[in-house]
Amino acid sequence: MDDTRTTTKIQELTYELKVEDVISKDIATVSSKLPVSLLRDILYKKRISGVPVVNDGKLVGIVSIEDFIKCLEQGEMDALIEDKMTKKIKTLYADEPLVHAVMKFEKYGFGRFPVISRKDKKLVGIITKSDIIKGILKKLETAYHDEEERRYRASHIFNDIIADEVFLKFQYYVEGKNFDRAGEAATGLKKTLYRLGLSPEIVRRASISTYEAEINIVAYTDGGEIIAYIDPHQIKIIITDKGPGIPDVKKALEPGFSTAPGWVKELGFGAGMGLPNIKKFSDKMTLRSTVEKGTHLEIIIKLSDYRNGE
Amino acid sequence: MINLKDIVQKLDLKVVTGNIDREVSAGYSSDLLSDVIANAQKDNIWITLQIHVNIVAVANLQELAGIILVNGRQPEEATLKKAEQENIPILLTELSTFEIVGKLYELGIHGNRR
Amino acid sequence: MKLTKIKEILEADVLTGKYDPEIEVQIGCSSDLMSEILAFGKPGSILLTSLTNIQVINTANVADIKVVCFVMGKIPDENIINLAKKNDVIVFITKLTTFESCGRLYKNGLKSCSYSNLDK
Ligand SMILES: Nc1ncnc2c1ncn2[C@@H]1O[C@H](COP(=O)(O)OP(=O)(O)O)[C@@H](O)[C@H]1O
Ligand SMILES: [Mg+2]
Repeated sequence: MDDTRTTTKIQELTYELKVEDVISKDIATVSSKLPVSLLRDILYKKRISGVPVVNDGKLVGIVSIEDFIKCLEQGEMDALIEDKMTKKIKTLYADEPLVHAVMKFEKYGFGRFPVISRKDKKLVGIITKSDIIKGILKKLETAYHDEEERRYRASHIFNDIIADEVFLKFQYYVEGKNFDRAGEAATGLKKTLYRLGLSPEIVRRASISTYEAEINIVAYTDGGEIIAYIDPHQIKIIITDKGPGIPDVKKALEPGFSTAPGWVKELGFGAGMGLPNIKKFSDKMTLRSTVEKGTHLEIIIKLSDYRNGE
Repeated sequence: MINLKDIVQKLDLKVVTGNIDREVSAGYSSDLLSDVIANAQKDNIWITLQIHVNIVAVANLQELAGIILVNGRQPEEATLKKAEQENIPILLTELSTFEIVGKLYELGIHGNRR
Repeated sequence: MKLTKIKEILEADVLTGKYDPEIEVQIGCSSDLMSEILAFGKPGSILLTSLTNIQVINTANVADIKVVCFVMGKIPDENIINLAKKNDVIVFITKLTTFESCGRLYKNGLKSCSYSNLDK
């Protein structure tokens, strides 16, 4: 692969895209006049590590989970947020090129930056590293033809800015009993993983495993969901459905065991090799099932060579 | 026509049932029983990865010369019993479909003309 | 083996995909069960099957198989062709049987996917 070219394209995109093109705008904020105790719900329920403090739309500070814990330890839950928050904060303007954001993440090592408008200094959103990567992926998807896109994988941006806590989440719904659409999730995930610059072998193992699991949802259930979590260490794929469940999980895992009906067999599946295949291609596989409730399959594929790229 | 005994010997197949002293007309490779019922011909040697008892019934119906199970597969218990009863040769190989077919082809066994 | 040679040996027609006569394929695999292909098919190989539905294309796609050859003169429908096009899977059709197709390719030097040391 032509490395210089790839890097150039990704770098071009970080200049071309603006911060506002990739940020999450739907964010939780708090007012500075509220007591610290009210943060509990926001921080825990939304699972975020910091909340912007906003008065009349204007950003006045940021309060983190560490601030909250400190107050908790010192019995200061009634203190006002404005007395405990960080007031000197680094922000980004919405109209700045993405490359500024990339540089700021590198410089300060923060997990997120508030984004404000240049005009009135009002808070417009929050940006994380994961937002940047997703924004670039999306752009690659819409702007380039398949052939070109191959050369423009997002691997280098990952190498450059990924931090341990970044993870990406991709979600797919799978229709039950519809063989015409079976495979859409697995092939969609494959494309995404490829764009992320993962090695072809890793992509292949992840997509074969996902495909077999997807086929099972289509063949045996009324539908389900596939969620892939990607972080610098592993790909975790969770496949769930709401029934009918598997009466004997141990047996289902045996090569050759199958309850596939005729229509599944005619389509080239149902030889009892699906789950064994998933086992073969993953580093870890966990299958749990309750009859009438549903099945939960977790697949892990380790990414030892993630940073080193291909 | 080639004798099945020669094939077994040359390709190092493991014989689990049946009388292998019979002639083979051509080869047929398929993992779909309905396809074999529709398209295989008398005295064909059948290459498949199916191990279910129904393969014996199909071989019987089509008067096939024998069944080769590929990729190290073992026949199911019921398949073995039935094949013994019906005197259908079941042969085993560690090779893949592609490769065992290739080796049979090199021995002069071709596909059915269509 | 070059695609142009495979095409000639199989007396095949090319239906779709980024067909380039110079593309090299080293390995052949054949099955009518997709899980078998997923388990043993090798990247860059040609898959010969008598099954014709879109899952053959999806299988080729996730397993990085370059070329699918539908045997026995079966003509894949439009959905299959479209999906193959979208995913850059090259589609061949031949009137020959699976047996005859595999036999000819093997005799002409195509390797089998059971050789794991040929992994590419
Ligand atoms: N999501 C699921 N819900 C219900 N049953 C399932 C599910 N996944 C697998 N099974 C059961 O486990 C068996 C084995 O699955 P698998 O190894 O994929 O082989 P196959 O699908 O070829 O039968 C299936 O035949 C089915 O009975
Ligand atoms: Mg299955």
